[in-house]
Amino acid sequence: MSSSSLFFRLPALLVAVLASLLFIVAPALAAPASLAYEASLPAELVSDPDLCKHVACGSVLPGAERFSPRKGRPSYVEAYASEDGRERLLGYVFLSTDIVDIPAYSGKPIVTLIGMDAKGVITGVRVLKHSEPILLLGIPEEKLVAFVNQYLGKVVGSKIEVGKGHAGDDVIGLDAISGATVTVIAENQVIMRSAMIVARQVGILKSPERPPVSYTDVPPTVDWAALHKEGGVERLTVRADEVGLPPDANKPYIDIWFGYLNAPTIGKAILGEHSYRRLMEELKPDEHAVFLIADGIESFKGSGFVRGGIFDRVQVAQDLDNYTFRDLDYQNLYSVNVPGRPDYRESAVFIIRDAGFAPAYPWNLVFLANKLDKVTGNKEFVNFSREFWLPDRYIVGGRPHYERPLAAWEKVWRARALEIGLFALLLVVAGVVYAIRDRLVRSASHKDKWPVSGPKYALWGFSIFFAGFYLMAQPSITQVLTWFHSILFKWEWELFLSDPFIFLFWVFIIITVFFWGRGMFCGWLCPYGALTEMSHRIAGHLGLKRFQRQLPTKLHDKLKWTKYWIFVGLLGVSFYSMSLAEVLAEIEPFKTTFLVGVWNRSWPFVVFWVVVFAACLIVERFFCKYLCPLGAALAIPSTFRWWGLKRKDECGPCKACQSGCESLAIDEQGRIDQRECMLCLDCMVLYYDDHACPPLSKERKQRTRANLPMTPIAGDGYFIPIKPVAISAEPAFVPTAPIAAARAEGLFARLYGELKDHLLPWNRQLRKQPLFLQAAGVALAVLVTWVLLLGAAGKLGPGVILGWWLAWSAYEVITRMGCKPFVKDGPWWENNFRPASWADMVAYVGFKNLLIGAAFMLFLKGVGALALLQGIPELRWLY
Amino acid sequence: MDTQKTEAQLATPEDQGRRKFLNTAAFTGLAGAGLSLGLTACNKETPAPAAAGAAPAAAPAPAAKVAHGKYDVPPGQLDEYYSFSSGGHSGDVRIYGYPSGRQLKKIPVFNTDCLIGWGVTNESKAIIGTKPNGQLKYTTGDTHHVHMSYKDGTYDGKWMFVNDKIHGRIARVRMDTFECDKITELPNIMGFHGIFPDKRDPVDQAVNYTTRVFCGAEFHIPLPNDGRDINDPTKYGCLFSCVDAKTMEVRWQCRVDGNMDLVATSYDGKLAASNQYNTEAGAVYAEMMSAERDSCIFFNVERIEAAVKAGKFVTIGTSKVPVVDGTRKSNADPKTALVCYVPVPKNPHGVNISPDGKYYVCSGKLSPTATVIEHEKVLKWFAGEMKEPRDAVVAEPEIGLGPLHTGFDHKGNAYTTLFLDSQIVKWNVAAAIKAFAGDKAAKVVLDRIDVHYQPGHGFTSMGETKDADGKFFISDNKFSKDRLLPVGPLHAETAQLIDISGDKMVLVHDHTTIPEPHDSIIVRRDIVKTRQVYDLAEFPHGIKSLDESRVERKGKKVTIHLGSQAPQFGLLEWTVKKGDEVTIILTNLDKVEDLTHGFAIPKYDINFIVNPQETKSVTFVADKPGVYWCYCTHFCHALHLEMRSRMLIEG
Repeated sequence: MSSSSLFFRLPALLVAVLASLLFIVAPALAAPASLAYEASLPAELVSDPDLCKHVACGSVLPGAERFSPRKGRPSYVEAYASEDGRERLLGYVFLSTDIVDIPAYSGKPIVTLIGMDAKGVITGVRVLKHSEPILLLGIPEEKLVAFVNQYLGKVVGSKIEVGKGHAGDDVIGLDAISGATVTVIAENQVIMRSAMIVARQVGILKSPERPPVSYTDVPPTVDWAALHKEGGVERLTVRADEVGLPPDANKPYIDIWFGYLNAPTIGKAILGEHSYRRLMEELKPDEHAVFLIADGIESFKGSGFVRGGIFDRVQVAQDLDNYTFRDLDYQNLYSVNVPGRPDYRESAVFIIRDAGFAPAYPWNLVFLANKLDKVTGNKEFVNFSREFWLPDRYIVGGRPHYERPLAAWEKVWRARALEIGLFALLLVVAGVVYAIRDRLVRSASHKDKWPVSGPKYALWGFSIFFAGFYLMAQPSITQVLTWFHSILFKWEWELFLSDPFIFLFWVFIIITVFFWGRGMFCGWLCPYGALTEMSHRIAGHLGLKRFQRQLPTKLHDKLKWTKYWIFVGLLGVSFYSMSLAEVLAEIEPFKTTFLVGVWNRSWPFVVFWVVVFAACLIVERFFCKYLCPLGAALAIPSTFRWWGLKRKDECGPCKACQSGCESLAIDEQGRIDQRECMLCLDCMVLYYDDHACPPLSKERKQRTRANLPMTPIAGDGYFIPIKPVAISAEPAFVPTAPIAAARAEGLFARLYGELKDHLLPWNRQLRKQPLFLQAAGVALAVLVTWVLLLGAAGKLGPGVILGWWLAWSAYEVITRMGCKPFVKDGPWWENNFRPASWADMVAYVGFKNLLIGAAFMLFLKGVGALALLQGIPELRWLY
Repeated sequence: MDTQKTEAQLATPEDQGRRKFLNTAAFTGLAGAGLSLGLTACNKETPAPAAAGAAPAAAPAPAAKVAHGKYDVPPGQLDEYYSFSSGGHSGDVRIYGYPSGRQLKKIPVFNTDCLIGWGVTNESKAIIGTKPNGQLKYTTGDTHHVHMSYKDGTYDGKWMFVNDKIHGRIARVRMDTFECDKITELPNIMGFHGIFPDKRDPVDQAVNYTTRVFCGAEFHIPLPNDGRDINDPTKYGCLFSCVDAKTMEVRWQCRVDGNMDLVATSYDGKLAASNQYNTEAGAVYAEMMSAERDSCIFFNVERIEAAVKAGKFVTIGTSKVPVVDGTRKSNADPKTALVCYVPVPKNPHGVNISPDGKYYVCSGKLSPTATVIEHEKVLKWFAGEMKEPRDAVVAEPEIGLGPLHTGFDHKGNAYTTLFLDSQIVKWNVAAAIKAFAGDKAAKVVLDRIDVHYQPGHGFTSMGETKDADGKFFISDNKFSKDRLLPVGPLHAETAQLIDISGDKMVLVHDHTTIPEPHDSIIVRRDIVKTRQVYDLAEFPHGIKSLDESRVERKGKKVTIHLGSQAPQFGLLEWTVKKGDEVTIILTNLDKVEDLTHGFAIPKYDINFIVNPQETKSVTFVADKPGVYWCYCTHFCHALHLEMRSRMLIEG
């Protein structure tokens, strides 16, 4: 029921971004050479059997070489191309005025030439002539050209509507032209209807078989509420905040009640016996009347119908067909005498004049609203719709059987069930493989890592070719941005479900990041990461080994922060403009690699891709280490992975594994940086390898020398002692000295302690700090509360919220580093802490505050406090 | 008996008029002077205090707070009722919306109108009627009564019929376009005043809708009026005419004694009635008032048509219309009589039938009474079961001074305009019948309300149908004096909307009417169903697309086939020669509702409009050489001013 950009649908997004880039670069190319306003067309155009003699048919069907004379009724032209010396039917070209008579605002038709390929894909739309005064007087004609160009690539039979539809629904929303809605609605009808009529004629589309039904004349229900409950009238309500206006607690934006009048039970109840009879006498067999009554701050009539003759705010949609109403289809609805009917200030009876409309089947009333984008100030058109289906008892024999079209996401899930199953299996296998890593690393050795590498290479292979190239399921930072916005503003499952592979991937990522850290995805399953590391290895074997090296640790430790800054930058930009952020997310070469293909892209992208890939051949995972914003985003929660890799007491001074760590994730103290670790498990192989791990090797040598038996190596990485010793309750290894934290007993006390710890950055240490900081802390705490409140109430731009959120988080990081310089290590339900590095603290505070903010807004929405806050103008001073 | 009656008539109610002052100040002198003026002709003197049992003096409605807002029609909302009103000697018909009182349209009928080109276009000229030279036969008219066609005893929204008193013509207005489509001149009559469609066929009761329209003639003239007998008024006569609603041809006429004023028809289709104020056939007004009683004449439609069928008729002059004999002399035997003369107090005005179809109310005008005549009793007389026509009178209550027209609600109440009292009186028909039968306790007059001033016609919402709903009464007043902003000696007139839904009548508001409406009807809005645009197919002489615009010449006759589609005419210029007879046929090809174009030719006195999908034509002789910009006069488009074409007339 609301708009949302479809940025989660990566392929569509990418195409759109590319298209818009091109549009920015070369607007001159998109503009037509001559204008179509009152263009003079040859008189023969309308009648000559050879349509294409008078107009360049090839311009709407590229590749066509020969055109047939006009054929069919209504007429169209067949287009042929020669292929291997034989003629092949390429598609169809038709002139809109041959097929439909739909006057636009001017009262005259927009003469449009349309091309469609043999499969029903629109290949070209050209406005030959129009008489729209608005395009002469105010709006550049290029806008109409841009509008009709939106049809390119759309398949006839898709549900295409003007205005952004509801995400996840199977409706394709077109951008309208502000100020010329009548024109674009008429043109949409012209293009869609012409294409559909021709498609039905040539057999691309089948007309649905819908036998006519007769209605029962059962006594109406007693009052309005009962009529509504029964489904005799339906209600479509749009709130002011749904169209970007300040919320109005008293009146909805529009509140429409509607129903189908031909059914006598409804017709007589609404119109009364006399007017019903009169209306039915007037209607021809294929004409249908619907009524609307509405209240609210907006009108469903608007004013487009006054001079343009078309009602541009309400339509009836049934399956693929859209029915718009002309002024001649409007009648006054004088009174509605059903007890308990709502008050209304606007009413109408609209007549649908089309044999294709099947009243016994569900249809939708569609309301087209102008939505104001609060950030950009731009207006976009949004569709709201509500279904109506005649109640069972109003139809003789009841409702006919009707198979509801599946939601778009559902369709995809069904259509690709096998692939989805395989992909899920791949993910499960990866998880299982990693879960049994202890067994794998034990059977591997410093010399022979195949027990680990084998499964990993297999997974890489699947990941690169199956997930990457075939399924194009390469997760991207744009999805993280979407999560971010969704958590803070609006959550729509349909949006995420629309790409099943990406969805499953993310379910996997979220689980494994918290279990083991981001390395599970980044190191084992990321298609691009796998591709580059695999290539790196192969290149090494092919002789590039001598050029391959790591960056010096000092430089690495500086450069590794780059990816975080890229992530933060993208996140910031996304709050300003999602589409800009999407463009900037091209820093990920994923699209070029998997989705579009290097050969399909323009040279700047190719150059960038080649440079990055070449760098990866020399420096292992160069992109992952230094540039990948997705990796950075996943690294932050990786700080809290529950189960880390094992370490021994000796790891601190030893560092034998450090030199072998390709991720450069082991520091001078022997600690593994969870944010950088790819979980390659090399150090774990070492851990159990009594020939490579120095402490083990030492013990082995000692025992050999002392001729003592070699007991198995236990889970703690040591030989099982020959004489049993008491097993310590604490984990054998803590990276550094554990932080002594008092832990309260009892569930509530523990919860309270946790809550206090997460919410309050201070402790007694604060008293030792300057008073100013304390005050600033309190003030900031208050401010952040207000800002969250207002932001949730829709009063604040998202950027402002982010600013406050960042400010508070920054303050919290500083304060915590002064007061509580430690973070939890391991599962959150346990009480293990470790000293925090700044990065740890930033990751902790940032992630935690994001969750708190989201929870807070959900809470406010849940208890209805938002509605309360919405009407308080006194709070506006804050911004 | 008669004398007593007269006495009773004398006993006019206390003068409510100009009332607060008179009630508190010296009553007799002023009131006597004022009233005697109105009543001199009746030989009435200063009114005496009300006689016992006579119309009670209901106090005028106190200036109680009226919730006027309740009657508001807020922006964007529509009126609940239409009212269709005659325009009087403006010759047109008007449409108003109620309760707002907003004027919605003026329909030119007998007049000419340069807005739409009525009397300018060839099509309208053909309807109005032309002389052999092509000029209009008449350009004046005087409409009094507008009545709609019926079905099942209520309005069917199909036609309206309106009279022209000046030239004796009847016009029909089709209600889907609200344009006049037919005008018929009635032969051998003058002063055609009352008009009423029938509601049912008298014989074939299945025909429960309007097929005839009855027309009363007020002025006696020689028959035929060709110069004979002009000095012998005794040879003058009046004819009652029956016009076919569909063909608009005169079916028959009936010569009567006396004249006819207003007309009413019964719901069963058997009778038509007309009040007669000049049974004396007087030529000057003193003569017209000489008899104490005039009458209300009833026509037995079935018998008249049987007589016509049987050939019992004459024709007069050049007219082919059969004329039957409805004189008293020839209709003495009730069993064969074509007409029945029911005596009513002198010089009555107005006859209206109650929604239940049982009673006719004939107002007294010069008598302060209303006479209630029972429909069944008149039929009884025709059946020979009742001796005296006067016995059909079942009540004759005194209701006030100068009663003219009566409207009805659905509760058995009548609302009568009192011209002299400047009041509307609400009275109960059943109570009046009881009182007439001697029930002294019967409370006849229920309420009175002042109107401003001198009400002529008054009518209730749906009051002329069996669907009378008792919601509103409109008083069309003949004088406005101080009620409206002065606009020179000729005043706008007031129409006053009165809420009659409660026990007390409530004055809702005044609104203006341009002089001078007579009768109106108030019609529920759902009854009217208009067309939104025309259909090109209805106009074979029009063109179907702008490309068909062209010039055709046959000798000196030039036809310009022209289309209009905002913002242009189909030809940007055309050339004719001086002396050519030019016909311009203009088709409005725009299809958007309300997108009307105009077409004016300067110096040739031509302007008319074409509604969407409509075709009209004009013919003129191009006698003035030069350049003439033909332009669109009806705002149509942002480029409306640019919408013009040149007519070049070569010398």
